[in-house]
Amino acid sequence: MVKTVVIKPKVDINKVNTHILPVDFEYYEPRTLRELVELLDKLGPSAKILAGGTDLLVQIKQRAVEPKYVVNIKKVRELDFIEDRGDYLAIGAVTRLRAIEKNSLIAEKFTALHEAVRAMAGVQIRNMATIGGNLCNASPAADTAPPLMVFDAELKIVGPGYEKVIPITQFFKGPKKTVLKYNEVLAEIRIPYPKPPTGSAFIKIARTAMDLAKVNVAVALRVDEDDYIRWIRVTLGSVAPTPVRARSVEEELIDKRFSEEIVRKASRLVVNDISPITDIRSTAEYRREVSKVIVRDALLIAYKRVRGV
Amino acid sequence: MSKIILPKRLEKYRYIGKNTIRHDGIAKVTGKLKYAYDIYLPGMLYGRILKSPYPHARVKKIDTSEAEKMGAVVVTFKDVPRKKFNIRLVSVDEVNYKDWEVLTDHPKFVGEYIAAVAAETEELAQKALEAIKIEWEVYEPLLDPLESMTPGKPKIHDKILFGQREVEVKNNIACTKEYVEGDPDRAFKEADIVIERVFKTNRRYHMQLEPKVAVVRPEPDGGVTIWTTTQTIHNTKILVSQVFDIPMSKVNVIKLPIGGSFGSSIQTNLVVLVAVALALKARRPVRIALTREEDILDHHSYQMIFKVRVAAKKDGTIIAGELENIMDIGAHQIQAYPLLGTALGWFVSLYKWKNIRYKGIAVYTNKTPSCAFRGYGNPQVTWAVETVIDELAEKLGIDPLELRLKNYVGRGDIFWGQGPTVKSVIRSDGVPELIRKGAELIGWDKRPKPGSQKGRYRRGIGVARGFHTSGAGGPLSGEVIDYTGAIIKVNEDGTIDYITALQDHGGGTLDAHAKIIAEELGVPLKSINIVWADTRTTLYDVCTHASRGVYVGGEAARRAARIVKQKLLEYAARILGDIATPEGLRIEPDEELGQGVIYVEGSPEKRITVGEVARIAWQRNWGSIAAAVSYRSYAAPPAFTVYFVEVEVDTETGIVRPVRVVAGADIGTVVNPDLAAGQIHGGFAQGWGMATLEDLPYDPETGELMNRGFITDYKVVTAPDMPKLDDFIVIFADTEEPTGPLGAKGIGEAAKNPVAAAVANAIYNAIGVRFYELPITPEKILKALKEKGEIKE
Repeated sequence: MVKTVVIKPKVDINKVNTHILPVDFEYYEPRTLRELVELLDKLGPSAKILAGGTDLLVQIKQRAVEPKYVVNIKKVRELDFIEDRGDYLAIGAVTRLRAIEKNSLIAEKFTALHEAVRAMAGVQIRNMATIGGNLCNASPAADTAPPLMVFDAELKIVGPGYEKVIPITQFFKGPKKTVLKYNEVLAEIRIPYPKPPTGSAFIKIARTAMDLAKVNVAVALRVDEDDYIRWIRVTLGSVAPTPVRARSVEEELIDKRFSEEIVRKASRLVVNDISPITDIRSTAEYRREVSKVIVRDALLIAYKRVRGV
Repeated sequence: MSKIILPKRLEKYRYIGKNTIRHDGIAKVTGKLKYAYDIYLPGMLYGRILKSPYPHARVKKIDTSEAEKMGAVVVTFKDVPRKKFNIRLVSVDEVNYKDWEVLTDHPKFVGEYIAAVAAETEELAQKALEAIKIEWEVYEPLLDPLESMTPGKPKIHDKILFGQREVEVKNNIACTKEYVEGDPDRAFKEADIVIERVFKTNRRYHMQLEPKVAVVRPEPDGGVTIWTTTQTIHNTKILVSQVFDIPMSKVNVIKLPIGGSFGSSIQTNLVVLVAVALALKARRPVRIALTREEDILDHHSYQMIFKVRVAAKKDGTIIAGELENIMDIGAHQIQAYPLLGTALGWFVSLYKWKNIRYKGIAVYTNKTPSCAFRGYGNPQVTWAVETVIDELAEKLGIDPLELRLKNYVGRGDIFWGQGPTVKSVIRSDGVPELIRKGAELIGWDKRPKPGSQKGRYRRGIGVARGFHTSGAGGPLSGEVIDYTGAIIKVNEDGTIDYITALQDHGGGTLDAHAKIIAEELGVPLKSINIVWADTRTTLYDVCTHASRGVYVGGEAARRAARIVKQKLLEYAARILGDIATPEGLRIEPDEELGQGVIYVEGSPEKRITVGEVARIAWQRNWGSIAAAVSYRSYAAPPAFTVYFVEVEVDTETGIVRPVRVVAGADIGTVVNPDLAAGQIHGGFAQGWGMATLEDLPYDPETGELMNRGFITDYKVVTAPDMPKLDDFIVIFADTEEPTGPLGAKGIGEAAKNPVAAAVANAIYNAIGVRFYELPITPEKILKALKEKGEIKE
């Protein structure tokens, strides 16, 4: 017999799609950072920043957000740069992923970041998407976050009449949530050059070559001439509400003498730092298992890079 | 570079077997080619369709007044002819199950069409759509076929039509088919070895590049002109005529390039009928373009649950085969009934079972309707059978290649091209050659013993063979409609127009036709113009499906070319004078002139160009040089494929990577080597996705797709996921099909059918684990290795 039931669809299929934009909004193109911040301050919390659009436009079409104002930040040319500032490298927030991928200094000094960007989407998307957009979208799977975290990157945030610099580890508050206030802008990312000899690596596990991560990991480490690990960072994405530092692994390895065996053992501790879930991309169990594997793999690769082999 | 091994035999041809530039290549790479999506008409409205958010429900009340106030034209189930039909017209009427309506108040899957709006812009149409209010009565959905067919469950359909007869649906079983040959019970008793396995395939989405589009213009005479994504313009015309009672002469369907299809437009897309309803009411042209999210709710593959039982003697002689096939067809029938027969056909045509039992059951569920997807059940059946055959070989201690060669259905045997009513005798067979050459190139003798490896990365080599039909023709008329038409006319300057309704899905089918015509006529390929026609100016063609484009359509074109050639030679003889009989005349292409040149054999100084003949025939009022041919093939020969695949399994992540592929294809005469090899590469990619990646699970609570319709969470493989081109070898067998145009057979589906099986067998060879449920994901592999105790903490 036919039974009537109550069903609450999780998606309104008559509304949600990735093609039609039936939402009316006012569109702005400020030209300077100052103009941008003043505008955001004036428009209030119902404004959304467009920094490439590869996430925002999809979200509007999917009706996850229906902004009253859209502020295109890409015309703020002063935020588009990759600059060597002696102690650190600065990347403007609207720098396209493709530009980061093509930058040889980044490939050499911040290999994990280079590898992360190369693993993101396809060339067309990398030509549109920006690093600031990737961070501010605050997806737990954002590929640029783990490598920036292992390099102890800092973020320059500009608000009305002030600017501040915070460590990236304080930036993410949860899925799609950051510390940014409505009238604040992520202006630049500062990545201090690690003391040599440092090696880093990024590994992403995904369904296909063009996909969001099931798990991603970035590591960086420095070893002394006797092979003692003197500095180490391990960060994973897509296995917690925000990208996470694997402090258990780091603490286990710091000041220990590098060996495959010790790395293998320490990598298993990563399960203490992550809280993966089961979703359509993968299962919690699988994510836990492969986290151990890719943390170890990444550490071994990073070590080889330290030693130049 | 892609590596292709071609038979020497092809050297005798001028255009066949050579790579030539596609007639639509420049337009494609420059983005100038116009697809249905690119059609914009003056005064056109944009349509949007209101879809059921529930898997099974009834509309108690619908209020469209707000939408109408916004200026939108609205149609609901109240405004369309309430008749039941099947959107696919390939089967003859008396075996066609009909359970569809244009719009319905009783939706049976998430995404079924309820109402539609048309407005000045797509955004306005969307807003109008969102303003429609509906009161629903929602029913408990049935998402699992085994549950759905259990007696006492809610009815998805009540009464449907079978031909013109009303039939009652019992236990949600849409249709069934049974077949017995010989005495299987006795054979299983007499067997030395019996293997029985249960297999579950995945539900896949076609992911063709172009989502469905329909643009409909109402005409002053009460008719309609239609631009749409379709594999069959004529069946679209017929269905629109039948549903809306418009004379066929007043329904004109324009043929357009199609952005891929893979079987998803064999049926007339329902969006066409909705657009017709809107256009007739609005009295203005209406365009509806499905979003990707709507398209993924529109059509999936058939998910099948098999029980396979095979009996054999110690010496490797197979003596019986049984197949139970429970198909989840979703909420409506498209070709469930013919597929029950066709799946049986794939089974009986793989091996000489001698004694056969088959039971096929098609079951309704509250899910997206299933339709053909490149292979039409063949990739599923072949995966199951080729897995069992591999197991059988291992148990018997016989080389899997030898066992296959001993038992396969080949030359001289009967082949079921499209189920029990489409049978013909196999005349060309390259299987032994492909197995021999493939084994050598992959290094078959050096493959590891299953499960013998220890390290983290383990490589394995697997083989599987299969085939697909070339069309659905045969000596008997049968239950499947299969014929086509070709018109060739010589222009007054000697250029040639080729007119056919047959659709090219993007694989270059019509380029193959042009080459066949050029070869047959002896004129330069570039002198042949492929005309974009419509239903009014073409002869009937059933549909480009069943890998019949080159085999059936190409032969129609060749036959028309032969008639045209006869006429050309007769006219040439008249002009040249002194000619005893036109039979002594030859035509050769002159690439510089861009013309065919007709000359007398042995006296080449007596010559005239085709252009001159055409000009004189025109100037002297001799009439057009043309031919129209309607053609049905009396055979449907199998194109055989043999895949050798090497994979590498990372036993710590469960990730499988394709390392090397040696793909053998017996497609008879190879018309265009690069494009044919492209079919193989694409077939491998899709097969790889089927084997390791793709699935469409449903949310058990809401009856929605778990991916919520977004392709972010329906991945298909792309080039970086495939082996390097250097590691992918394509071998074409040295065969010639006597019934095909210049010896050609089909390729599109054969290119894919054995892939999943070969991949699964390679995975087994690498890690010693068999999987009976697709896709074989890293999650499943890791779990299986853990259970086997292979993963240490």
